[in-house]
Amino acid sequence: MSGRVRIKDIGLRGDQPLAEIDTDELIPLPPPYDNPGGTIQELKPDAAERMVCNLDGVVALSLPHPESPEEERALVDHFAEGLKKLFTRENNWSFLQPLTLAMEYCVGCQTCSDACHVFKASGQEIYRPTYRSEVWRRLVKKYAKPNGKLMAPLTGADVDLNWTTISRLYELAYRCNLCRRCAQVCPIGVDNGLIAHELRKLFSQELGWAPRELHEQGTVLQLQVGSSTGMNQVLVKDNVEFIDEDMTDETGIEVTTPWDKEGADVLLIHNAGEIMSWPENPGAFAIILNAAGIDWTLASEGIEYDGVNYGLFYDDVQLARIALKHVSAAKKLGVKKIVMGECGHQHKAIMTVADRILTGELRDVKRVSCLPLLEEIVFSGKIEFDPSKNDFPVTLHDPCNIVRNLGIVEPQRRILRYLCPQFREMTPHGVDNYCCGGGSGFAVMSGNNFTDWRVAVAGRMKFKQILDAFADQPGPEVKKYVCAPCSNCKGQIRDMLQYWGALEKSGITYGGLVELIVNAMVDVKEPFIKWEMH
Amino acid sequence: MEKVQLGGKDIEIDEDGFIQDPDAWDESVARDLAKTEGVDDMTDEHWKVVNYLREYYLEYNMAPMIRKVCKTTGFKLKEIYDLFPSGPAKGACKVAGLPKPTGCV
Repeated sequence: MSGRVRIKDIGLRGDQPLAEIDTDELIPLPPPYDNPGGTIQELKPDAAERMVCNLDGVVALSLPHPESPEEERALVDHFAEGLKKLFTRENNWSFLQPLTLAMEYCVGCQTCSDACHVFKASGQEIYRPTYRSEVWRRLVKKYAKPNGKLMAPLTGADVDLNWTTISRLYELAYRCNLCRRCAQVCPIGVDNGLIAHELRKLFSQELGWAPRELHEQGTVLQLQVGSSTGMNQVLVKDNVEFIDEDMTDETGIEVTTPWDKEGADVLLIHNAGEIMSWPENPGAFAIILNAAGIDWTLASEGIEYDGVNYGLFYDDVQLARIALKHVSAAKKLGVKKIVMGECGHQHKAIMTVADRILTGELRDVKRVSCLPLLEEIVFSGKIEFDPSKNDFPVTLHDPCNIVRNLGIVEPQRRILRYLCPQFREMTPHGVDNYCCGGGSGFAVMSGNNFTDWRVAVAGRMKFKQILDAFADQPGPEVKKYVCAPCSNCKGQIRDMLQYWGALEKSGITYGGLVELIVNAMVDVKEPFIKWEMH
Repeated sequence: MEKVQLGGKDIEIDEDGFIQDPDAWDESVARDLAKTEGVDDMTDEHWKVVNYLREYYLEYNMAPMIRKVCKTTGFKLKEIYDLFPSGPAKGACKVAGLPKPTGCV
């Protein structure tokens, strides 16, 4: 399709992509990452026969074609019904008010476009935060308002509701990380990220369309066996016992993890992916909490050993089911508070969004971030540190859900300024950070060529920021550390470093915050941070 | 879902190339899956990783922790990446006929 893509084009010419990504036209990266500036694998030649491939040459969702015109019609009708439901209190108990505001007020000033890392990296019209929103707004005006169709020529509602529109809009709802940087800069507070979220919700709750990694292999699996990793209660205890032994061997400190301790001061909930893929993170937590004499426990009841709640990304019903289980189990164990491990969306789901679901005593369960607790411990004098053990360049990635969306900005920085002599900020940082590109579930989504897109396009601004932060010592001989206190961000940064070969070319590795704290402990004799691929 | 020829059989794979029916797996299927991962020759070292993954999966119905794979096989993660360029989860698990690992891993 040539020329600038118009809003109404989303519903036209469904047999071809609406846009094409040319990696040479993406925002340039510094050498040696400038030539080529990334590649996005082409879809298999027969891909379009098996699934819908009509947005941008990238497919995250593998949506099958409807089997009959009747099925197609029914799905389009469901979508129209869902549009109306979004504006009723009984159907949208979570976000009706902010959605209504986002519907009514946008002056089209495009301040948000400059703020969006996906748009900024690509310049693609369809990734503009207002593109998706304006499609949605015109659909609402025409199909969800009284006399909408009649009034359409006057209201400018020129988008047709058809199969092409909804199938493209479904993929397009998964080209936004829901990072809310656009909402933060909007002079009148319109939240385009929320609109992308509400579209995902509509698709999931009304049409049964959701990414397999988030739904079947995510929330459904978690509710079934206890964790989206597939770990049940027996396996998680076995794995944590393995971590305890491994950490004891590595540090010479006896590491033990308490389980299901009634009335403990702290119930720590990790993202279970940490246990599977980054065991040094739960291991480091155990070392720190034990050394500081904290009365803490992990819990194995129900889903309590996996803090993830992918429902936050796409479905309010799944979100509610999981949040209720998380908080109920803590209540049952009688702990003083739940402390979130290093996982961003878990922070947001349990600490704030759960407030919309919880009632009575459950609402009173204290739910806090690990970051202020870690700050308190580090500065308490209970643990002896030698910051010279961390004398290498360190920069900090701000997980959007913890920093921009919850406002927890300084505790992690005060720790790093104290324990890491060569700590340097990225530009911009704090609440103005850029998303890693893995936000809103993308880090676990890898169907077809989506990994290439989320790294080369959505993660581009973050990779550029990381390289810029280390520009004074770019060579691989100087080992550098990206501190990312969030599992989802770590997964994305791992894929990013792997994609660009940045460990070999630039000596860049990554990890969480607690690993740096343990690495600086005087009692830990061997280096805790290993400068190898992990 | 897409069907492809692996080890002389028609086998269903997902959008990441993981086989859908773990029982359809045998050594010749593994060799063909390895080719899709850019591994043309399955050496003893490849089999060491694949066999451990397979045994663990059949017992526990999921993939083991990456650290356990390293400890049991004696390979560092870098060496596993040298054997299977997409790594233990997306590469070695695929060749071993496991489903794609799930969750934030």
